[in-house]
Amino acid sequence: MPDEQPFDLVGCLDRVRRRDQAAARDLVEHLHPLVVRIVRGHLPRRVAEEDLVQDIFLKMFTRLDQYQGAVPFPHWVSRIAVTTCIDQLRAQKRRPEFRWADLSAEEAQVLDAVTADEKEVRPDDAYEARELVHKLLGQLKPDDRLVIRMLDLEQKTIAEISSLTGWGQSLIKVRAFRARRKLQKLFQELTQKERE
Amino acid sequence: MKRNHQAWQRLVAAARRAPEEGGDEAAPYGFATRVAALALSAEHPAHAALAPRLWLRAAGLACLLAVAAVAANYSVIASAFEEDQPMAATMDDPVAEVVSLGT
Repeated sequence: MPDEQPFDLVGCLDRVRRRDQAAARDLVEHLHPLVVRIVRGHLPRRVAEEDLVQDIFLKMFTRLDQYQGAVPFPHWVSRIAVTTCIDQLRAQKRRPEFRWADLSAEEAQVLDAVTADEKEVRPDDAYEARELVHKLLGQLKPDDRLVIRMLDLEQKTIAEISSLTGWGQSLIKVRAFRARRKLQKLFQELTQKERE
Repeated sequence: MKRNHQAWQRLVAAARRAPEEGGDEAAPYGFATRVAALALSAEHPAHAALAPRLWLRAAGLACLLAVAAVAANYSVIASAFEEDQPMAATMDDPVAEVVSLGT
């Protein structure tokens, strides 16, 4: 079986700069998985995935002349994707109020398991755990949510988050601290409601 | 508080085990073509930035040429105004105009 040819990113970018439409199409197809993964991770409510991905690619083409090659091109595009998601998240003014009644029976069971030290979350409950995490993260400010998601779910380092968002490392630490404190408060409220 | 922190850590550890959602990561059919056409049909940013600067320079140059032309021909323009003044006085007076036509 012949090896698949590696994508010639430098050559493709050169052709895009000379306004070659086929090269632009190849570039979009090549980078789509990267961009869509970021969008799915941070997709704001009520925003169509495809529209947001399209916005990110259009920004990429508009700013292509600003790309100096200081960082790898996919990294540069990731940064555009992350900042576009942040802008979308900030545009959402109201966050839904989180209520105990919003939890499904499975999510309540997961919450019970994580708050009780002796119980383990069953592997089958991973999906419910993720849903619960999303609901809890929805209570945070967009910037804090992004930091916690990258730190705890995607397990990125502070340096990586700094590079992707353009925020200083101290600011990221402050946001993480603030978000964790808010999450702890939410947990406390939920466990109290559970006892009631 | 520490207990809540541990509960959060256990919850995210469980959430990380969930399979990736969303499925296919490849671009939908026609998406790349549409985006490429949209991006390249827009005005080229370098040209877009260049045009207003060129217009501004052209306007500045035109102003300078106009001022230089007036300065170079100032004496001619000034004398033309001086010669025009008596004529202008007679032109404003229809009777004087008729009298001057008769003489």
